[in-house]
Amino acid sequence: MTWKAIGHSAVGTSHTANEKGCDDAVQYSVVKSGLTGETMICCASDGAGSAIYASLAADMATKYMADALAGLAEAGHRLVEADIYALAEELYDLLEGEALKQEVELNEFSCTLLGCYVTGGRAIFFQIGDGAIVRNDGAGNYAYLWWPHNGEYQNTTSFVVDDRNLQNLRVAILEEQVDEVAIFTDGLQLLALNTESETVHQPFFTDLFKYLRMADEADKVAVLNRKLAEYLDSRVINDRTDDDKTLFLATRLQP
Amino acid sequence: MDEYISFEQIPFGSDNFADNPEPRCPCVLLLDTSVSMGGMPIQQLNEGVRTFRQELLQDQLATKRVEVAVVTFGPVTIESDFHTVPNFHPRELDTTGDTPMGAAITMGIDMVARRKKEYKEHGISYYKPWIILITDGAPTDDWAQAARLIRQGEDAKSFAFFAIGVEGASMDILKQISTRAPLKLKGLMFREFFMWLSASMKMVSAKSPGSAVNLLPPSGWSEL
Repeated sequence: MTWKAIGHSAVGTSHTANEKGCDDAVQYSVVKSGLTGETMICCASDGAGSAIYASLAADMATKYMADALAGLAEAGHRLVEADIYALAEELYDLLEGEALKQEVELNEFSCTLLGCYVTGGRAIFFQIGDGAIVRNDGAGNYAYLWWPHNGEYQNTTSFVVDDRNLQNLRVAILEEQVDEVAIFTDGLQLLALNTESETVHQPFFTDLFKYLRMADEADKVAVLNRKLAEYLDSRVINDRTDDDKTLFLATRLQP
Repeated sequence: MDEYISFEQIPFGSDNFADNPEPRCPCVLLLDTSVSMGGMPIQQLNEGVRTFRQELLQDQLATKRVEVAVVTFGPVTIESDFHTVPNFHPRELDTTGDTPMGAAITMGIDMVARRKKEYKEHGISYYKPWIILITDGAPTDDWAQAARLIRQGEDAKSFAFFAIGVEGASMDILKQISTRAPLKLKGLMFREFFMWLSASMKMVSAKSPGSAVNLLPPSGWSEL
């Protein structure tokens, strides 16, 4: 079965109130290559609210990483951990170059990074900062890759530009079939994760993947993608979080 | 075609969310209730604290996230321990005693440390605590230790300390106590000050990544 993917970033009500735009970004694609079959790629980023170029940084991060990974997938490259480090270093340089150009401190380009690169029987995940990546573990449970990294305070985390040596970058390679992935930024953390037990809130993902599994043609996926945007901007979500939020869902399962 | 239409109408989404405690944003008010605050100053301060509560109640997230505690001096008394805004019911404050500012600050710092420990034990995430000192005098006790604790706490990013001087306050000593420059209240503009404080707390309790303490410019109520 082919990958079905939907994803959106929505502006938070606190950003609307302060006349700020959305500082989250997401970019994804499913690359078909004669060499490796299908590769599902997604990158998401949350620009720091206090950074002047948060929005630009998040856009640059997702575009740079997702485009580069798509290029590697098309070339049939077998991705390894070192590739992620190399790309993240290039991203660091790119953000640093832009900060120099704009004549601002590098931390004005602070943003997180979340991503996946999933092929048949193999999946690579990476993350800097908060938000989380969740996968179906194959036994019907949704499991996180890394518990979100916050500092002592709720509103602090690590960012791509914090460290040239990328000590905050986490990379995982799973030599197994991964059929379902969700990626979200911290705006949804308190809705999707149980903080006291440090577990994924299963019903949230069960509900969301239910219809995506049912979608059996591109038109239906497009309908769900539109509904996802509406959902992220709905009252039921905005009553719970006032931050920007990104949600990406991909499955190759059927009901 | 029928099938397509039915897909248009499916109730995509989930309203089954994790039942997490709200992250908390603790704020301690250290209020000078020495006799020199008698008359209009204490009335205006009381009015200001009520305004603070009302303003925070206007904001849905601040209502759930901000926790207020009040310490008065002197003598040093926990007037009200940490409560979320709906459960914070400020009592009318009277003036009594002298100005043991050092002991009040130490008490505020202890309360913040204890509250953080409680948050951690219950898996509650939290924002950087704020300690706000409002005084119209000079300390009548030893404040050197308090100043040291403030410096240590600010360096360790354990809390943010703000000193507000009312007419008659020893701004020189406040400068030595607080690592942030103390601000001088214009006249008795307590109401304006607390409106500003609530607006700043609303901003903090709304998520904004980055460790900086985001303050609104102290316009209107402070003398430059």
